[in-house]
Amino acid sequence: MMPKRAMRWLILVAVCASSARAQTIDDGIMMPKRTLSAGVLYAHDSWDHYWEGTLKRTNGNIGTLTTQSVTWVGGYAVTDRLGLMASLPYIRTHASQGVLHDLSGLQDLMLAAKFKLLSTGPGRYGMFSVLAAATGAIPTSNYTPDFYPLSIGTAGRRATGHVTMKFHSNSTWFANASAAYMWCANVRLNRNSYYTDGQLYLTNQVVMPNVLDYTLTAGIDRGNWRIPVSLVQQRTLGGGDIRRQDMPFVSNRMDFVKLDGGVMYALPGNLSINLGAAHVLSGRNVGQSTTFTSGLFYALHL
Amino acid sequence: MRSIYSRSGGWPKMSNRRPVLLAAISVAAALAAGGCDKSVGPFEVLPPLEPSSLEPTAGSWRMILLTGPSQIAVAAPTPVASAAYTAELDAIKASQANLTDAQRQAIAYWSGGGVMRWNQILRELVARYNLPPAPKDEGGYPVPDAENPFGDPAFPFANPVYAARAYSYVSAAQYDALKSAWYWKFQYNRLSPARNDNTVSALMPVTDLPSYPSEEAVISGVTVEMLKSLFPAAVEEVTVKAAEQRNAALWSGKATASDLAAGLALGKSVAAVFLARAAADGMRTAGGSPVLWKALADSATARGEIAWISQDIPARPPMLPVFGQVRAWNMTPADIVAERPPPPPSTTSQQMKDETAEVKRTVEHLTSAQLAIAQKWNDGAGTYSPPGHWNDVALEYVRDSKFSEVRAARVFALLNMAMHDAGVGCWEAKFHYFNPRPSQLDPTIKTEIGLPNFPSYTSGHSTFSSAAASILSYLFPSGAASFASMRDEAGISRLYGGIHYRSDIEAGKLHGARIAGYTLTFAQSDGAQ
Repeated sequence: MMPKRAMRWLILVAVCASSARAQTIDDGIMMPKRTLSAGVLYAHDSWDHYWEGTLKRTNGNIGTLTTQSVTWVGGYAVTDRLGLMASLPYIRTHASQGVLHDLSGLQDLMLAAKFKLLSTGPGRYGMFSVLAAATGAIPTSNYTPDFYPLSIGTAGRRATGHVTMKFHSNSTWFANASAAYMWCANVRLNRNSYYTDGQLYLTNQVVMPNVLDYTLTAGIDRGNWRIPVSLVQQRTLGGGDIRRQDMPFVSNRMDFVKLDGGVMYALPGNLSINLGAAHVLSGRNVGQSTTFTSGLFYALHL
Repeated sequence: MRSIYSRSGGWPKMSNRRPVLLAAISVAAALAAGGCDKSVGPFEVLPPLEPSSLEPTAGSWRMILLTGPSQIAVAAPTPVASAAYTAELDAIKASQANLTDAQRQAIAYWSGGGVMRWNQILRELVARYNLPPAPKDEGGYPVPDAENPFGDPAFPFANPVYAARAYSYVSAAQYDALKSAWYWKFQYNRLSPARNDNTVSALMPVTDLPSYPSEEAVISGVTVEMLKSLFPAAVEEVTVKAAEQRNAALWSGKATASDLAAGLALGKSVAAVFLARAAADGMRTAGGSPVLWKALADSATARGEIAWISQDIPARPPMLPVFGQVRAWNMTPADIVAERPPPPPSTTSQQMKDETAEVKRTVEHLTSAQLAIAQKWNDGAGTYSPPGHWNDVALEYVRDSKFSEVRAARVFALLNMAMHDAGVGCWEAKFHYFNPRPSQLDPTIKTEIGLPNFPSYTSGHSTFSSAAASILSYLFPSGAASFASMRDEAGISRLYGGIHYRSDIEAGKLHGARIAGYTLTFAQSDGAQ
């Protein structure tokens, strides 16, 4: 049992790390206590259409924007109810057309603590649990947030609170509902003026809007297999639209609805692999990206 | 079935691990605390303007376009002892008795100085309109249309040379209007309401400067007329701002209704003189035509050089290729040609190969400090442009010097006339030589900032910055070292960005300094220094 449960927890980290903006720790699963885990995740994300505000378009000076990342993830279950985790991605961006330079670098270290607040069962229909998590993200290199869409991140500190409700039936299916609220610190640019949201700002500081995320997940969990499908909605609580034929800006109102699916399989020897795919269905000031992820994880019970 | 609210078996196990839990929470909390710094600032703070001099001789300073300070007549005001004037004072007192918070905010805002406030507003307009047209679905690009400024594309595309010209027209018109206002002020010597009646409160700093005609109304009138022509889609907001400036002068006890009416009329009349020049300065035909664009390329090819091509996708017509023939302020067309920099290294020469390799080497090994400089001086699409950046630099010196409105206007007029002339000279050279960008000669060169859509030689940033640094060093000698350092940084930022060769930058700096010399000649004999 132990490896499988550990694997589930790792999957959740992987889902989190694969998202463009630090995502929820929302699968509702805890590793058994004193489990140490580590893994590597590769993600390939690309888009050729994006939303300039609400206008969907292509851009000859971008072509296809590809973002590849390799993310280290690690975790430790302090108790059955408390897990700690960390992740750190290396990211590279590339535009297939035009003259803009690639960017690459170590992005943000994410640290998280996750609690199981309460749980029931197994009852007549299944188990129900509620989890809460807090995450913090901090940039680990001085990458630039001022070259969107090629910037590898917002280069700002963020803190997120998550709540997840989980129901796991007595048969093989499960369902989760999560919400997360992300507080974003101001971002600093290398220039003393910028124009966004209908106003000229004469400062190098940018107020970043906070972000709400909702995730609904349903899936199957049977034997060594776990197959979740999620609908993710990100709502940015402020920020301006990309102006007509302007470059995107770090504090733009970046909203999207994304369908995200995965397959996780537990291998012998405490290893597990996961494969995932996601596609943005609708958005605002974001690319209509398609993302493929693959990860390999290892868990060790101390 | 246990209640979902049951915590049985949960917390007791936690007890010996609380420190870990607390550590995790504190990490998250520390990060969250960093998320609380939501307000941004400082903006350019403008404290209430208390000019260090009344400038009683400004009425005799040399004009730019007006034939003299009395070209536009201002009728004598009613005497202070008249019933009409008393009624005007009563109206001010009635307003002051019932000021709203919004009115007090307007007074505080405009007390910072009208010339500087309008300079901020102008930079905002440039940043808003400094976006190139989006390509059409069927290919090609639409042309911004002054007769349809609210459309897509918006009018204008306030690119660097459009912006340079706009800053110069607004600043030069304000300067001539204020010199004329100063002439009439000291002709009639009618003091401000707060000085004439001590029951009128002075809610802005009030000096012994005569208030007829009101300098606030002169500035509002001349500026709004210029902006309505340069940024027609902004007509509503600039009109509202201008009215607010005049009202703030009245509410604050600085000007009466007749001070304002006389100033407004004078400002508008001066604007008409400048707008007549603008209508015939060559800007309307600066976009050229497909025949002309091809002729420019053919001319470069005929000289044995590789001609510039647009690297926008789809290829975009060059940015205002005939701007080099737009009328300059302090140079004749012959001066522009005479000052044209010598040819760049041949596109097939070893020097050009070496310089292209330097660009490639620089962008592939760019340091964080170099990227910061490239971004600091990027001033590309969507910004207030390089001339706007130098207005930003100048404003702090004007503010800290506590210049009167007329002397503040002189700074911006000299600075922006020189930068406009730098734009004309630079564009004349760019389209004369039609030299390719580094990323055209070596397509493996990728840029760290947006690639401007016009030929490479000479660097516009370097030319603007060198001209600006020369003017500001003359006006503020104590800042000369700082201006020179900014000029050099702005220039080299284009190499760091991967969009210019070193020779573009060096030639641009020399060119900009020579061009500034013409405006300095004007400044040295204008009776103001």
